[in-house]
Amino acid sequence: MTSVAPTAALPEATIAPAGRPPRPQGGAGTTVLMALAALVWISPLVLLVITALRPLSDFVANGPLSWPGSFTFGNFADAWNIGNFANTYRNSTILLVLKVPLGVFISAMLAYALAKLRIRFGAAIMYTVFLGLTIPIYITIVPVFVMARSAGLTDSLIGLIGPYLAFGIPFEVLVLQSFIRQIPDEIIEAARIDGAGAWRIFLTIVLPLSAPALVTVLILDAVATWNEFLFALILLSSDANKTIPVGLLNFQGQFSNNSTGLAAGILIAVVPILIAYTFLQRWIVGGLTAGAAKG
Amino acid sequence: MITGRTRHGSGLVAWAFAAPALLAYFLFLVYPAMSSLWFSFTDWDGLSATYNVVGLDNYTNMPNDPVVIQAAINNLIWAVVTVVVPVVLGLALAVALNGKVRGKPILRLLFYTPAVLPLVAVASIWGWLYNPQYGAINAFLRAIGLDSLAQPWLGQDSTALGATMVAAIWLRVGFPMLLYLAALQGISQELYEAATVDGAGRWQQFWHITMPGLRPAHYVVIALSVIDSFKVFDLIYAMTYGGPGTATQVMGTWMYFNVFQYNQAGYGTAIAVVITVVAVAVSIPYVRSQTKEHAA
Repeated sequence: MTSVAPTAALPEATIAPAGRPPRPQGGAGTTVLMALAALVWISPLVLLVITALRPLSDFVANGPLSWPGSFTFGNFADAWNIGNFANTYRNSTILLVLKVPLGVFISAMLAYALAKLRIRFGAAIMYTVFLGLTIPIYITIVPVFVMARSAGLTDSLIGLIGPYLAFGIPFEVLVLQSFIRQIPDEIIEAARIDGAGAWRIFLTIVLPLSAPALVTVLILDAVATWNEFLFALILLSSDANKTIPVGLLNFQGQFSNNSTGLAAGILIAVVPILIAYTFLQRWIVGGLTAGAAKG
Repeated sequence: MITGRTRHGSGLVAWAFAAPALLAYFLFLVYPAMSSLWFSFTDWDGLSATYNVVGLDNYTNMPNDPVVIQAAINNLIWAVVTVVVPVVLGLALAVALNGKVRGKPILRLLFYTPAVLPLVAVASIWGWLYNPQYGAINAFLRAIGLDSLAQPWLGQDSTALGATMVAAIWLRVGFPMLLYLAALQGISQELYEAATVDGAGRWQQFWHITMPGLRPAHYVVIALSVIDSFKVFDLIYAMTYGGPGTATQVMGTWMYFNVFQYNQAGYGTAIAVVITVVAVAVSIPYVRSQTKEHAA
């Protein structure tokens, strides 16, 4: 999928929120310095919000760095309509709901097979699947396009699900199988003696015990799916079927002279992800940094 | 295989569990990647029903395509800069944030925020900041009296690639920072205390305790950053379409244009194969280490 999150495959998946014994607080100098650095780092987004909230005439008259003379929500209404966001939001949401749970579920099944079941060539399977982390999406686009066309699935959200699943699997399996591996065998053994089959053990023991890892990969996969661009760009052609990143690209072209409208449109596109990140960052951070300290 | 684990189920059951994910993986990743390899030996235009096998022609033609040469150089520059700068900055931020700082969770949140945005949104934001007339960057330069430095950042050869890399650095600093922050917590405080008693300064402590202590993290951070760098497509496509001219063309975008605009699917896939082979070759030690660690 899109770059950052899914390639963040790390050695051990002990998903624990970062925490450590309290240390004496202080360091006012460093705090001020770091706060300033963070402010500079985030300033493009701050500027984006301010610009989106001001009238275009005010922006043109006073320049991008001035404090707005007045505020308006009108830019959002304009951007929402012109940017076709009603459609792109719906499409991205449909993909998210169809793809993410399915991808995580089948990845968990494979992870369970690799971690706890007797499977031949386990190491070879793992090697092949992990290699997928390194494959650039664009090597597959020509055949994927041809496959979708012969299946009549171009310009259809359903056509995206297969490629999205495939590119999500390596990271999901990497994290999940190393987590499932840590589930004590005694628990599984006890269930087995009680007559539970592999499927029952998977559903009633492995999945519930893997909840922290499942939440992490669900969130990271949702971010990656929401942000995916290349497959959506080549497979979707009509405006009614576009996802948010592809819609945003068209929108950007139309709005090159309307800075406030463009800013509002970009914000509309990123707000769900920013809200989700703010609330779920504990799991995102946990998933990305899982075990990095141990190497 | 003696693993000390009790594995249950028959082999068949295991394969039943593995099948759905493996099927999706082979059908939509492995098989297309292999087909691309096949298409790369043909002159297929991407549209016709027929094509000819031309052997290695697509590959031997590449050195005569100035855009491929430029794209390869751009990929290399891109890889070096967007790995080294975020890793160094991320390490510096992590070390600073690991010290006595208030509001650590908020600071961490702010520095990582760009990384969760869609790459197209990052491209849009920076395209907007770089706008020659209305952009904040030129406005800022004019405001501080450096009018002469204001320029069409994305519109001229000399600055376009650098400008796209700034956006990439912006979004990528958070990742090494997070990993280093996690890794720093694994280094024993006692080492620092002992070093302080022995009279070691901050730099000495950094070089002799922090850096060696972070060695496993360095490996993971750099491996993942390199893998990520080679895949560059979205950001360049959405920011400059490889332009002006071919100034920001990378292998991924040049592949795309060959396939979808110039009807040269065979040649385009050959370009994709080259960058994939390089990316995979560079990352094999990482993939091996992961497999070994997990399968062991």
